[in-house]
Amino acid sequence: MSYCVNCGVELDETAGVCPLCETQVYHPRYPVNHTASKPFPTNRAEVSMASRREVALLITVMFVSVALCCGLLNLFLRTQRIWSLYIIGAVLTLWVWSVPPLLKNIPLWFRLFLDVIAVGTYVFLIAVDLDGINWFMGLALPILSLLMAVMLFLGISMGGGRSILSGMTLVIGTIGVFLFGVELFIDFWITGAYHPTWSIAVLATSAALVVPLIVVRRVPNLREEARRRFHL
Amino acid sequence: MASEQQSKSDKSKWYRLDNAALMYSAIQRNTYSAVFRFSAVMTGKVNPDVLQRAIALTIPRFPTFRVKMKRGVFWYYFEPNDAPGPFLKADISNFCQPMRAKEDHDWLIRFFYYENRISIECFHALADGAGALTLFRTLLAVYLRELGYRIPAECGVCDMSASASAAEQEDAYQRYAGSVAAHGGIPRKAYSAGGTPEPFYTLNVTMGLIPLDALAAKAKEQKVSVTEYLAAALIYVLLERQRREGFQKKLPVALAIPINLRGWFPSDTLRNFILTVSPSVDPNLGDYTFEEIVTQVHHYMRLNVNRKLLQARLTGNVRFQRNRLLQIIPCVLKNPILGFCYWFAGVYPVSATYTNPGAFTVPTEMQPHIQRMEVILGQPYGNRVNCASISYGNVMELTIAGNIRERDIERELFRFLVRQGLKVKMISNREE
Repeated sequence: MSYCVNCGVELDETAGVCPLCETQVYHPRYPVNHTASKPFPTNRAEVSMASRREVALLITVMFVSVALCCGLLNLFLRTQRIWSLYIIGAVLTLWVWSVPPLLKNIPLWFRLFLDVIAVGTYVFLIAVDLDGINWFMGLALPILSLLMAVMLFLGISMGGGRSILSGMTLVIGTIGVFLFGVELFIDFWITGAYHPTWSIAVLATSAALVVPLIVVRRVPNLREEARRRFHL
Repeated sequence: MASEQQSKSDKSKWYRLDNAALMYSAIQRNTYSAVFRFSAVMTGKVNPDVLQRAIALTIPRFPTFRVKMKRGVFWYYFEPNDAPGPFLKADISNFCQPMRAKEDHDWLIRFFYYENRISIECFHALADGAGALTLFRTLLAVYLRELGYRIPAECGVCDMSASASAAEQEDAYQRYAGSVAAHGGIPRKAYSAGGTPEPFYTLNVTMGLIPLDALAAKAKEQKVSVTEYLAAALIYVLLERQRREGFQKKLPVALAIPINLRGWFPSDTLRNFILTVSPSVDPNLGDYTFEEIVTQVHHYMRLNVNRKLLQARLTGNVRFQRNRLLQIIPCVLKNPILGFCYWFAGVYPVSATYTNPGAFTVPTEMQPHIQRMEVILGQPYGNRVNCASISYGNVMELTIAGNIRERDIERELFRFLVRQGLKVKMISNREE
C-alpha cells in the first residue's frame, strides 16, 4: 500500500495521484495497480440540460390565449376602435422578450436588438392608430435608435466576463449618455433647438460616479480594498 | 377479484407530504433535487440479476417508497407508482443526479451496482436517512436470501411476509406537534465555503475510511461523541479556510446537523422525521483552538438537543405548514415562497451540512457479507460541500461531497485527522 507523502493518508492501490493534493504516487515496492477496478466507476452519465421547450410552449399558449380573448372581445366591446391591437402588440413584445431565449442560445447583442425592434414595432402600431406618424418619425424613432445603439454597446462590451466594477462603470456611463440624448431629441422635436437642463445634471452625476469607479478599477490596492469591504 | 380490489385501494391511496418533504419538493427543479445515497460494499461481487429480483420483491413491501410525486392545486402529494421498476443500473461516476419529472417512470429512488457495491439513491422528500436505511437493510437481506443465505427478519430488517404497518407510513411531525411552538430568531449569515463551480452536473466525492475504535477513543479523550468530534473538526477546518481567505469581516461558521427524532419521539415511520440543529463558532470573538471548538459543539448539542426544545421547534414548523394563508396560495406561487424560506433558514445561516446516521446494524447472519457502508449527501443547494459519515463494524466512512473544483476542505479535514493520530484510507471519484 502507498501513503501520500504530503497528506499522510493511505491511498487506494489503483490511485495514480493522491485525491487530496494530487501528488503523484511512486512506490517502488507497490506500483500503481492499473489492472484492478477503480473504487468508483469512471463512466459519467451525461445529464442533458433541462429542456426549456415546455416553459416556452406554456408562455406561448398563455400569450396566444390572452391575444385571442382580447381580439374576440373587441368584436363586441367598443367595436368602433381596434383597442385589442394594443394588448396584442404588448403580448407580442413580451413574447419576443421571453420565448426565443428559451428556445435557442441567442447571442446577447442579437437578443437586445430583437427586443428593441419589438418595442419599436409596438410603438409604431400605436402611432398608426393615433395618426402619430409625425411624432413617431421625429421623436420615437431617434430615441429608439439611440436605445438600440446603447443596448448593443452594452451587450457587446459587457460580454466576456467583465468585472462587477467595469460592468457598473459601463452601465452608469451609458445611462448618462442615453438620457443626454433623450433630452436632445425631445428639445429638437419641441423647440427645434437644444436647451440642456436636467440631462446635464444626470450626465454630471454619472460622470461623478464613473470617474471614481475607473480609478478604483485601475489601482490594484483600491480594487482589493473595495473587494474586501463589499464582498458578499 | 381480491387483487383487483387491492389495486383499486392502492390507487385511491395517496400521501400528504410531511413537513420536511414540503421544503424538498418546493426546491425541486430539473437541475436540482435533494438526493442522498447509501452504499453497501459487499464481500463478493454483486450479481445484478439476483439484485434486480430482490428489488422487485422488496419495493412492494414499502409503499411510501413506491410512489411518484404529483402537483396538486395547493400542495404536492405522493400517489402510488404502478410503473415497472425501479430498475437496477450499472453505476456511474457522477452520483445523485436530479430527479426529473417524466424520467425513469417517475421513480424517486434509484438502485445501482458496481463491482462489490450496491447503492440506493433516494429523493429526500420520500424519507430521511433512517427510513431509507431500513429499506436498504431489508433489500440487502432479501438479496442475500435470494443468494441462498438464511437471514432472519430482525435487527431492523423488515418482515417481508407482513404488509407495511400504518406506523411505518405515518407523518410523525403531525403526531408529535404540541401546543407550544418555538420560533427561531432572525438567521445570521454564515461563512459559505464556496469555490469554483464544476460543470453541470458533477459531484466530487472524497471518502476517508477511518478505524472506528481509534476515532471513538479520540472523541472519548475530549469527552464528546464521535458526531460532535467530527463536527468540531469540520468547523475547525472551515474556520481555518476563512482565515486563509483573509477577509477583514469574518462570518460565523455554522453546521446544519440533522437529528433523527425517533430517538426522542418513539415512531416507526419510514418517512422524514428529522430536525436540524446548528452549532456555530464566531471567529470575531477570537481564535479558537480545536479543543475549544469541541467543547462549544458538545455543550451546544447538550443544550439544544432535548425533547422539549425539539418538540417546540417541530410544532413551530408544523404550524407554519398549517398556516391558512400559506395553505390557500396555489402551489406554483407557493414554491418560490417555500424555496426562499428554505434558503433563508437552511442555507444562508449555514456553512455546510454534516450528517451522521450512526452505526449501521444488521443481523449477525448478514455481517460476514458486508465489508463497509458508505453515505453521500448529494448535490449541495448552492456552491459548497457537504459532509456525511456512517459506520459499520470497525470502519467509519467519512464523505466530503460537493460541486466545487477546489479540494482544500477535504484535504485539510483528512490531514487534520491524520495529525490527530488516526489512520485514514482515501478513495475518490475525482478524475486523475
